Amino acid sequence: MATTAYVVQRFLQAVLVLLLIAALTFLVFHLLPTDITQASCGKPCTPERQAAVRHFYGYDESIVQQFWEFLRGIVTGRTFGTGAAAVHCDAPCFGYSFRLHASVTSLIGQYFPVTASIAIGSAVLWLLVGVSSGVVAALKRGTWVDRVATASTVVGISAPSYLVGLVGIYLFGFKLDVLPVGTYVPLTQSPVDWAWHLVLPWCVLAFLSAAVYTRITRSQMLEVLDESYVRTARAKGIRERRVVARHALRNALLPVVTLFGLDLGTLLGGAVITEKIFSMQGLGSLLIDSVNQLDLPVVLGVTLFSAFLIVLANLVVDLAYSRLDPRVSRNG
Amino acid sequence: MTDLSERNAVKHLPRALAGLVGLTALALVTAACNANNNDSSPSSAPTGFHQGGTLTIYSSSTEQLFDPATSQSLAITSQGLVHRRLTTWDIEPGQEPKVVPDLATNTGTPSKGGRVWTYKLKPGLKLSNGDPITSEDIKYGIERSFAPELSGGLSYHKTLLKGGDSYTGPYQGKELSSITTPNDRTIVFHLDTPYGDWPWIASMPAFAPVPPSADKKPSTYGNDPVASGPYEVASDKPGQDVVLERNPNWDKSTDPVRLGGPDKIVFKLGVDDTTAAQQLISDTGEAKDAFGSGFVPPAQLKQITGNSDAKSWLALSNPGALEYLAMNTQRPQLKDVRVRQAIEYAVDKRAFQLAAGGTQGGELATTLITPGIPGRQEYNLYPAPPEGDMAKAKDLLSQAGATDLTLSLVSANDTTSLNQAQAIQQGLERVGVKVKIVPQDPNAYISTITGDKGDYDLTVSSWQPDFPSANGNISPLFDSSQIGGGGYNLSRYSNRKVDAMIEQATGEVDQAKAQADWAAADKAIMKDAPVVPLLYTRNAFLRGSDVENFDVSGFPNYPNYLRISLANG
Repeated sequence: MATTAYVVQRFLQAVLVLLLIAALTFLVFHLLPTDITQASCGKPCTPERQAAVRHFYGYDESIVQQFWEFLRGIVTGRTFGTGAAAVHCDAPCFGYSFRLHASVTSLIGQYFPVTASIAIGSAVLWLLVGVSSGVVAALKRGTWVDRVATASTVVGISAPSYLVGLVGIYLFGFKLDVLPVGTYVPLTQSPVDWAWHLVLPWCVLAFLSAAVYTRITRSQMLEVLDESYVRTARAKGIRERRVVARHALRNALLPVVTLFGLDLGTLLGGAVITEKIFSMQGLGSLLIDSVNQLDLPVVLGVTLFSAFLIVLANLVVDLAYSRLDPRVSRNG
Repeated sequence: MTDLSERNAVKHLPRALAGLVGLTALALVTAACNANNNDSSPSSAPTGFHQGGTLTIYSSSTEQLFDPATSQSLAITSQGLVHRRLTTWDIEPGQEPKVVPDLATNTGTPSKGGRVWTYKLKPGLKLSNGDPITSEDIKYGIERSFAPELSGGLSYHKTLLKGGDSYTGPYQGKELSSITTPNDRTIVFHLDTPYGDWPWIASMPAFAPVPPSADKKPSTYGNDPVASGPYEVASDKPGQDVVLERNPNWDKSTDPVRLGGPDKIVFKLGVDDTTAAQQLISDTGEAKDAFGSGFVPPAQLKQITGNSDAKSWLALSNPGALEYLAMNTQRPQLKDVRVRQAIEYAVDKRAFQLAAGGTQGGELATTLITPGIPGRQEYNLYPAPPEGDMAKAKDLLSQAGATDLTLSLVSANDTTSLNQAQAIQQGLERVGVKVKIVPQDPNAYISTITGDKGDYDLTVSSWQPDFPSANGNISPLFDSSQIGGGGYNLSRYSNRKVDAMIEQATGEVDQAKAQADWAAADKAIMKDAPVVPLLYTRNAFLRGSDVENFDVSGFPNYPNYLRISLANG
C-alpha cells in the first residue's frame, strides 16, 4: 500500500512539474521579440493576411486563454477553423502543427520510435561496455588494462558528439564502406536493416556515454572492494567471482542506476546531434526544426513529452533504488 | 513551408510585395503590345539525354509536400515535376529565363490596360486521375490558396486579384468573383491595378489545377495530390522519403519545358547537407544517380577542389542573388545622402567577398537588378577599387559635416553573417565611422528588420527575386509601401518619384518598355544611395556521376529538375 501511495504522490508531483514546464514554454514563446505566425504567413505576407492566420491558429487570444485552450484540448480535443477545411485534433490533443499538417500527438507517435531505437540500443551497449570495463579496471587496478580503460574514458568524455559522429561516418561509412551512413529503416519494415542502419549511431553514442559509466563503476568498485563486508565475504571463503558480482558490484551499481535512468530518460526525449548527423528523424531533430520554424505546438508537445520521460525515469530509478538497496527507505 | 530546402540558404527571403496593388493605376495603351508568347512547342531534348532510371534527390527538409497552395517552390524544382500551371519558366543553359505557356495556349492576353488577363487552356489536357483539366480546377486551386488553413505559399496573386484582401477561401462556400470561367477552357483574372508581370504570377504554384472533388481533406491534400505534370506521388513517408512515379496521363507533346527523363524520382528526406555531399563525393550506390537539393557546405567545397572527379560533378552557378548593405534612410545620422554616398565608397567589398567565401561565394555588385534578369543594365555610380576609395568617402563625410559617426549594424547571429558584418565594420572604421554590431537570433532578426520600428542603422541582407523580372528586384526593396509591416524595404527608403517610376513599370505590359523603365528606376534609386550593392552570390550544387543535364548556371541559380536525366537510364 505504501508503494501505491508513494506512486500516487509522485504522480501528482509529476503533473505539477509538467504543468509548470508547459506554462514556462508558453511564456518563453510569447516573450520572444518575434511573431510566431511569421513563418507560416506566406510570401509576400501582408499584415491583414498575417492577422487572418493568427486568428485561425488562435494566437490572437490572450495568453491565459490560449493556455486554457491548450489544457482543454488535452481532455476534449480541438477544432481549428470552420467549414469543409476545419482541422480536427482528437483528444488527447497536445496541439496541432500546421507546418507538418499533423497533430502533435501523432507526430510524437511517428518520431518517437526512431529516438527510442537509437536510445535504447545505445543505452544497452554503453551500460554493458561501461560497467564491465569499469569492473575490470577496478579489479586490475594499476595495470595496463586499467590505464587503457581510464585513458579511453578521457577521450570519450571530452570528444564532442558531432565530431565522433562525423569521424565514424567518414571512417566506417565512406573510407571502409562497411556500414550505412544513416537514414532510419523502421523495425516493422525489416528488423535486420533496422539494426544494421543503427549500428553506427549506437556505437557512437555508446562510445561517448560508456566513458562516464566506466569511471563511476571503477571508482565505486574500488571503494566497495575496500569495505569490511567484502573482506568478510572473502574471509568466509566465498569464491572471488561471487564476491565481485553479488557483494561488491550490486552495491557499486547504485549510483550507476541513478545516472542510467536519467541519461536514458533524457536521450529518449531526443538525441539531437546524433539524429541530425545520421539523418534520422527522431524527436530531437523534430524539436530543432520546430524551434527554427517557430512551430510552438510541436515545441510545447515535444518538450512536455521529454519532460514526462525524465520525470518517469526519475520515478523508476527511485523505485528501483529501494529494491536494490533495502537501506533506502521510501519514507526516509 | 513545404520545400524551402531548395532555397533555404538564400537568407531573408522576400516577404512582402503587398503595396504594389495600393498604387494608383496609370492610363496605359496596351492594345497590341503585351507579354504574349505563343511559343508552346514541346521542349526538345538536349544532346546526351536518356530516359529511364531512378533519380534520388537528397533533401535536408523532413517533409516534401506537393500542395500547390502552400508551396514556395521555384517553377523548375520539385512542384514542377507534379504540377503544371497556366504558365511556366523556360530555363535553359546560356539563355535568359523566359515565361512560356504551360497548361494555357499563351502567356496571357491582357485587356483594360493590363487589369484583365485571359487564358485559354490547351485542348485534351488530362489530370492523373483521367479527368480533363478544366478552368474550374485552376480557379479552385487558386481560391483554396486564400484559406488561412493553407497559408504559407507564394502569395503575390492574393494582393493583386480584386477582392483578394478579404477573401478567405472556398471552404465556406464563397467564390472569388475576380476569377471567372466563361467556359471549361477559359479563365479570366480581374486585377485591382494594371500588372505587366502577370504572366510570371500565373507560373506560381497556386496556378495548378486542383479538382474540388479531390480536395476532401485540404490539410493533407499535398500527401497525395492529383497530378498534371510528368510524375505523380506514389508514396509519401514523412521524415523518410517521397517517391514519384510516371503520370500516365501526362502528354509530353503539350509540355514546353518538362522532359520527364527518369522513370522514378525519390526524395530522400532529412538528409543533412554535409552527409549528402559526402555521399555524392563517394559516388557509390544510389549516390551515382543522385544530387543534393541544398547548397554544398563550405567544408565539402574545399574537399571537392582537391578531388578531380568530384570537381567535375560540382555545379557552380553564375552570380545571382544580391547581397547588400541597407542603410536606414530614416535615421538622423543617415538622412544626408552624402553620408550614405560616403559609405558607398568606404565599404571594403573585397573583404566582404572574402568573408562570403571568395570568388566562389560571389562577384562584386554595383547594380540592383541582378545578373540573369532580362533588361538588366550594367553601371556603377560609385566607381572605386574593390577595397573602397577612402579619399572620396572622407571628402563626402566632411562635406556633410558628419563627424564621430557611430552606427548600429543589426545582424543574424550565425558565423557567416557575423563575419560579413565585421567586414563592413572594418571597412567603415577606416574613414572614422564606428559600427556597433548587434547580433540577433535569426527569427528575431527578421522581425527587427521587417517590423514597424526600424530600430537599426545598417543591416546586411540578401535578395533573390521570386520570378525573373526586374520588378522582383526593385519593388519589394524600394517601394515606400514596403516599409515595415513585414515588408523588405530595409533602407526604409521613400521617394515619391521612385514610387511613381515603380508604379509605371509595374503596370507596363510591353516587356521591352517595362525593362527600360526598371533599368531607369535602378539608377534613380542608386543616386540616393539607400543600399550598397555588395555581391552577386553564387550557389554550389553537387551531383552523382550518372546525372546529366544538371545545370544551375543562370537564374534562379538552382538545378532545373525538369530537365535532369540519368546516363544509365
